[in-house]
Amino acid sequence: MSFQILVLAALDGIAYGALVFLVAVGMTLVFGVMRILNVAHGSFYALGAYAAASLGIAMAGMGLSPWLAFPMFIVAAAVVGITVGGLMERFLLQRIYGYEETLQLLVTFAVFMMLENVQRLVWGVQPYFYSDPLRQLGNVNVAGITYTAYQTLFLPIVALAVLIGLRWFLRYTLAGSVIVAVTEDREAATAIGINARRVFFLTFVIGVTLASLGGALASPTTSVLPGMGAEMIVLSFAVAATAGLGQIEGAAVAALMIGLGRSTAVFFAPELEVVMPYLIMVLVLLIRPEGLFGKSTARKI
Amino acid sequence: MLDLKNLHVSIASTPILRGVNLSVDHGETVAFVGRNGAGKTTTLRATMGLVPSTGAIVLDGRAIDKIAPHERPALGIGYAPEDRRLFSAFTVEENIRLPARVANLSPDETKRRLDRVYSILPELKEMGPRPAGSVSGGQGKMVALGRALMLGTKLVLLDEPFQGLAPVLASRYAEALRALRDQDRSLSLIITESNPGLLKSFAERIVTIERGEIQQSELVEAVH
Repeated sequence: MSFQILVLAALDGIAYGALVFLVAVGMTLVFGVMRILNVAHGSFYALGAYAAASLGIAMAGMGLSPWLAFPMFIVAAAVVGITVGGLMERFLLQRIYGYEETLQLLVTFAVFMMLENVQRLVWGVQPYFYSDPLRQLGNVNVAGITYTAYQTLFLPIVALAVLIGLRWFLRYTLAGSVIVAVTEDREAATAIGINARRVFFLTFVIGVTLASLGGALASPTTSVLPGMGAEMIVLSFAVAATAGLGQIEGAAVAALMIGLGRSTAVFFAPELEVVMPYLIMVLVLLIRPEGLFGKSTARKI
Repeated sequence: MLDLKNLHVSIASTPILRGVNLSVDHGETVAFVGRNGAGKTTTLRATMGLVPSTGAIVLDGRAIDKIAPHERPALGIGYAPEDRRLFSAFTVEENIRLPARVANLSPDETKRRLDRVYSILPELKEMGPRPAGSVSGGQGKMVALGRALMLGTKLVLLDEPFQGLAPVLASRYAEALRALRDQDRSLSLIITESNPGLLKSFAERIVTIERGEIQQSELVEAVH
């Protein structure tokens, strides 16, 4: 039993960690640049999942090729990021940047509550199932375990591509460089002509898009139902805190740790499943209060 | 060239600047002296739009106080803040180039301005590939000057550039400023300094600020 169950737990953990990473890296990017802990971040995960599931079901109804689901995930995530994320930054967050953190936290919490109810209003309380992409990619055999290629290969590859792409974007593009500059020193960035407000907008849209991409990609692997956003925001907080807030590579490692920890608990100590991510977080923070990769240097992303 | 008229700044309802009036001519180098907390830094920051102010800020006859802070550097104003404020995630060269990239200057124009910076501060060329976080405090001041010069084609504001510099670096920095002035006779410079002695060798005018008000404005010849 134990070897095969270990493999199964590892595969589960990697697939889940990949999704958690996408959400957590968006949150940590937003925090690194804007210093706002966005409680509504998990709602964008849920919105991405709902948008992808409804679009996918509609596309299947129209008889379109199931392969189109893959580009659709990206489109759905970008639409949620640009519309909902863009509107939230432009009309809400821009008004509260100068205020204290408690108020910012309360405002994003209010947005979270509203978005939770918007989901119930639009999609109802019954779960949505959309597993065509899962079937489309078929199964693979790993050490005697048959597992979906979607979860074994596709999700980790997407997470890795996002990690490398994000690092490349921040390092080699002008938009990325100005994001890094504003993160380090907003005033010095303004003094060389950088429009920090536009940088905040761009960062928030990217962060929200990553969260909803996580949701869109999760939709084939789970039933899409109310409350999924709340669970994810707590997990991505745990990942971001474990990694050290603002750490991109750290978020990847922490997401993998928490994903594996959670899946191991599911198989070996199911009663610990829910508490596992926090146990890992507490253990890490006891030893390194600044997080696994947190540093006291000026660099935040 | 630059006219500050009745400039007021309050931070947390404490008045910091109380009606500052200052005129700087084309090609003039002004040493802006005063004790810590007198309002030197705040005057420069208000000119850049980094603190809210009332009163008028006029550059070449154009009121710029309503222009967004991030749009002011492109008008030809370079600013090197007091504590260097380099971006440690980038190399020295990337720090110097970033203002040109943000302003979307053509490659030719960027190269022309880089050449100008390197002709005045040749040491920056060797430092180019080094991470900005790894250079010493004094070298960092040079990098900050180089970065300010990329956009500062009309006016350069230097906040306490000599503070904390070893004597040899301070004289090297002063030499670079003299080279800059010799190269571009139309460039105006405002340099804040707690110790006016350092600036006498090349400032044309020394303006003293006390408790947020200009107290004195003297030509350097008169000081001697």
